[in-house]
Amino acid sequence: MSTGEPASEGGSPVVARDVRRTYYMGESVDALDGVSLSLPAGSYTAVMGPSGSGKSTLMNLLGCLDTPDEGTVEIGGRSVGDLSGGERARLRGTEIGFVFQTFNLMPRLTAAENVTLPLVFHDGVEAGRHERAETLLSRVGLGDRLDHAPNELSGGQRQRVAIARALANEPTLLLADEPTGNLDTETGNEILAVFDELQAAGRTILMVTHERRVAERADRIVHLIDGELAEIEQLEGKR
Amino acid sequence: MKLRESVRIGWRAITGHKLRSTLTTVGVIIGIASVIVFMVLGGAFTENVVGDLDDESEPVMQVVTQTEPETGTGIMFVEAPIYTESDVEAIEGMDGVDYVAPSGSLPAVQLSHGEESQTGTVGVEATIPERFGNESMYPLEDGETFSPSADDEAVVSGQVARLFEDNVSVGDELSITFEDGETETVTAVGIANTTVGGQPSQPTVYLPVDSHYELTIETPDGETERAYPSLEVRAESMDDVDPTKEAITEYFETDADARELKDDEHTIAVQTVDDAVDQVAGIVDQLTVFIGGIAAISLVVGSIGIANIMIVSVTERTREIGVMKAVGARKRDIVQLFLLESVILGAIGAVVGVAAGIGLGYLAVSMLGWPMVYPLQWIAIAAAVGVGVGVLSGLYPAWRAASVDPIEALRRE
Ligand SMILES: Nc1ncnc2c1ncn2[C@@H]1O[C@H](COP(=O)(O)OP(=O)(O)O)[C@@H](O)[C@H]1O
Ligand SMILES: [Mg+2]
Repeated sequence: MSTGEPASEGGSPVVARDVRRTYYMGESVDALDGVSLSLPAGSYTAVMGPSGSGKSTLMNLLGCLDTPDEGTVEIGGRSVGDLSGGERARLRGTEIGFVFQTFNLMPRLTAAENVTLPLVFHDGVEAGRHERAETLLSRVGLGDRLDHAPNELSGGQRQRVAIARALANEPTLLLADEPTGNLDTETGNEILAVFDELQAAGRTILMVTHERRVAERADRIVHLIDGELAEIEQLEGKR
Repeated sequence: MKLRESVRIGWRAITGHKLRSTLTTVGVIIGIASVIVFMVLGGAFTENVVGDLDDESEPVMQVVTQTEPETGTGIMFVEAPIYTESDVEAIEGMDGVDYVAPSGSLPAVQLSHGEESQTGTVGVEATIPERFGNESMYPLEDGETFSPSADDEAVVSGQVARLFEDNVSVGDELSITFEDGETETVTAVGIANTTVGGQPSQPTVYLPVDSHYELTIETPDGETERAYPSLEVRAESMDDVDPTKEAITEYFETDADARELKDDEHTIAVQTVDDAVDQVAGIVDQLTVFIGGIAAISLVVGSIGIANIMIVSVTERTREIGVMKAVGARKRDIVQLFLLESVILGAIGAVVGVAAGIGLGYLAVSMLGWPMVYPLQWIAIAAAVGVGVGVLSGLYPAWRAASVDPIEALRRE
């Protein structure tokens, strides 16, 4: 297990310490049962595990959508549990980018508007927003689809828009929950190529997947089983 | 989150469901439109009456007895014969008084003209000849007024003349049957226009008071005098109206016979044409507000409609709310977004409702030939109410939206 402060250059590390998350559904279920994990700046981590092993729960905790029942999650040295709802929302809007399996675009907003949605909540400046959307969408190869509605785009294109949206705030941490799960292999590979590029550009990435082939794009694979961290597998040829 | 941004996103949601949004606002539109229509109609009616009264304003005032009913509100007129001949003479002697016309209704049951008879619809009133003439309260359409003590002459109102299929013309004979069974035959010597302020009055046959009015009363001084239930006083000019009214009012407060003869709970009022206008306007206002209030109930229904659709909308967009929270939306951003959406719906309802109300009101008013009135303060109220309805009906749905758990919302497939 690799806990402790990682050497970091640029961007703050994200650290989970002994995190427990319990759900009560008649009886209590430990979705996460004492997990510790740190994400060094610029690292690319894959999370694998069977369905129900706590992958999404871990992602929600690291993404400030949820708070642990026990243990702490620190982002930039601040403990998430101590923050108010509004402060956590701010953190989500400025430090974290989410990418979901089902894309989760706003159906009535255009691609460009979807991309700049995070800016709507935490950046009063409207000027230059369209240019920003254009830059981000061009980076994921959709520079010519700015004004398309989500339902006018293919699955792969939608996921590219979602990635562009996750990057809108220059986040410290990019979280992706099975980003290729709804895509065919070829389109999935294109999306994975985008993540490779993002890592090369210095992003910190955590990606949930249940496919070994997908997980192997990362530096290391975190294996979860029944809410416990079973193994951190360092991949060869990576740093 | 900037207001402009919420408007943009909210507007997108509204136009995303055009039919639904339209139907939602219909309730508010109908509510506000009907309130405005009634306010236009009420205002136009008052304006019409007031305008007409002002046009042909006469320096005339009515002395009447009033009482407040034991139950309910408002004012009731009392038909008690308390104004004696001495009162009439005292007022006639005042400066600026042209004439004092005592008037009392006579208990007639039937009026016949040739073969035709009218029962019940016609009033018979004893009064003085000065009331009829070109310079008087009631101009004559034809003929002349009766002589003060003639017992076989009458002036009839235009309504009476036209009541019979064979219209009454000057010189025709009319027979009046009274309650006690006696029948009198009189000659119509004049036909008077008795419409007041464009409103037709009751069809009335006027007879000389000296020869027909017999009701007497014992005065406080112990004398027996004729007494009347009401008086009409005409001042010499419009400028004399106010001072005369004051003098008469004072007289009735100090040494009038009527003051002692009236019941304690009754009051004597001197009403000028302006007072009458105010009274009509007051009654119309009350009525308009009452009907408007009923129309406002449809606003409540309208706001329930908006609330209902907003709740549906929140449920449908749970996932979108989860997404917005995931990308950084705070609770108050979500509240703002949904509240604004229902305010927009309410405001659209208000704008369209006001426009429709003014349009329909204008149509109705032009058909009735009344002057158009723009009820500005009601338009302002309607606009405020529309927005208020939006806020009220949006509060609960917005709170629900803000309370959506993003994890739950995003787990939903
Ligand atoms: N909101 C919730 N309420 C109740 N149980 C939950 C909730 N979220 C997750 N769980 C439970 O927690 C465990 C882990 O869930 P999750 O993190 O979604 O797993 P994974 O993403 O690995 O499939 C599962 O047993 C799941 O049923
Ligand atoms: Mg999952």
